[in-house]
Amino acid sequence: MKYSASHISVEMGQSALRYFQGFMPEFSFTDLQALLQYCQVRKFPRKAKLVEEGEVDDYLNIVLSGLVRKYVRSNNKDQTLQLATEGHVVHSELSFLTRQPSLAILETLEPTQLLSLRFDKMEEALEHFPQGERMGRLMLTAMYIKKDERRYARASKTVRELFLDYVAHHPHMLQRVPQKYLASYLNIKPETFSRLKHLGRKSQKINGSSKRS
Amino acid sequence: MDNYGALQEFLGRFLPLSGEDFAILKKKSAVVHIRKKDIITDAGDIELYLYFVVKGLIREYFYKGSQQVTTDLISEGTITGSVTSFFTGAPSHYCLQAMEPCSLVAIHKGALEELYRSNRSWEKFGRIITTHFLLQQEKQILSSTRLSPRERFLHFVAEYNHLVQRVPQKYLASFLQIKPETFSRMKHLLRKNHKKQTAA
Repeated sequence: MKYSASHISVEMGQSALRYFQGFMPEFSFTDLQALLQYCQVRKFPRKAKLVEEGEVDDYLNIVLSGLVRKYVRSNNKDQTLQLATEGHVVHSELSFLTRQPSLAILETLEPTQLLSLRFDKMEEALEHFPQGERMGRLMLTAMYIKKDERRYARASKTVRELFLDYVAHHPHMLQRVPQKYLASYLNIKPETFSRLKHLGRKSQKINGSSKRS
Repeated sequence: MDNYGALQEFLGRFLPLSGEDFAILKKKSAVVHIRKKDIITDAGDIELYLYFVVKGLIREYFYKGSQQVTTDLISEGTITGSVTSFFTGAPSHYCLQAMEPCSLVAIHKGALEELYRSNRSWEKFGRIITTHFLLQQEKQILSSTRLSPRERFLHFVAEYNHLVQRVPQKYLASFLQIKPETFSRMKHLLRKNHKKQTAA
């Protein structure tokens, strides 16, 4: 089945368009329509596994709505690597690109709709979509930069700075994501996370009241 | 093999590049020789080059306060640079330092972009090199999150045994996120095991 822009809502189309224009400003609505020929929309309920450990990941996904958690199992503990919301790319890169079994697991935390490009369709798109190669390169570049910035932040900042930065940039995530996953994503002990959250709320109150006076 | 032979072999692993295309790449790049301990890219610099390592060893690190944190060790046969800075044009967080005398093939960002614009097969080349960087990065992320310090150590020894001798212990320990004391103990254990095995 072929998909076109009419298969996804205007809002989702906008969200996809914004994503592509983020690294390729000249990307147009016509380009999106052409690209959608290679894509499919996949819908999942909450708590669905998109990829299990050991499976080969066949899809590159952009989140149209919902929330996907990417994590690895490490000594019986889960380590969250990514919390992908609307407009984010999520997949098991290493498995998808090398066709090897995945070490990472992808799971939905909310009912989720994905714009997905299957590996073989990606190869077709790279060949036939006029700006495919350029787009692929820019998309990979954007992914690399994002992950490197996160790695650098994690290695160079204190736990407290990491927490405050994250909350400032993703205020809605505290409501959407269970605390244990956020703590794991930020590599903060759950107790520390609770304490920081509490402190954050207190200082907000103090700031709030001083503004009024 | 001359300086470019190794590069041709490296690229050949990803995509067949015609002799003509390789000649273009050769014309657009330059061989540079770096002395031991010289800084190739400093923190705060804007990275303008990607480097293919023909010979030598490079350490990537950043400063956390006054402390150096080693983030990568790059030896012969692979490609490096302060990649994020190269992509974004923003100042580099990282320093690249030659740990040994190095011979590098350097290609300037402008030259690479010219190639990308010239035709689609160069765009493909760009995508494949970028994929390589992304895969290396993801491998490191997965290894540092999934594996215990002991597993990371054993993994590294199995895959990069030649570097264990070449890289000062403090940098290896920092790269593998292992405390220096623990690192010494692991190395010692490994030597004992090795002796036992050879004796048996």
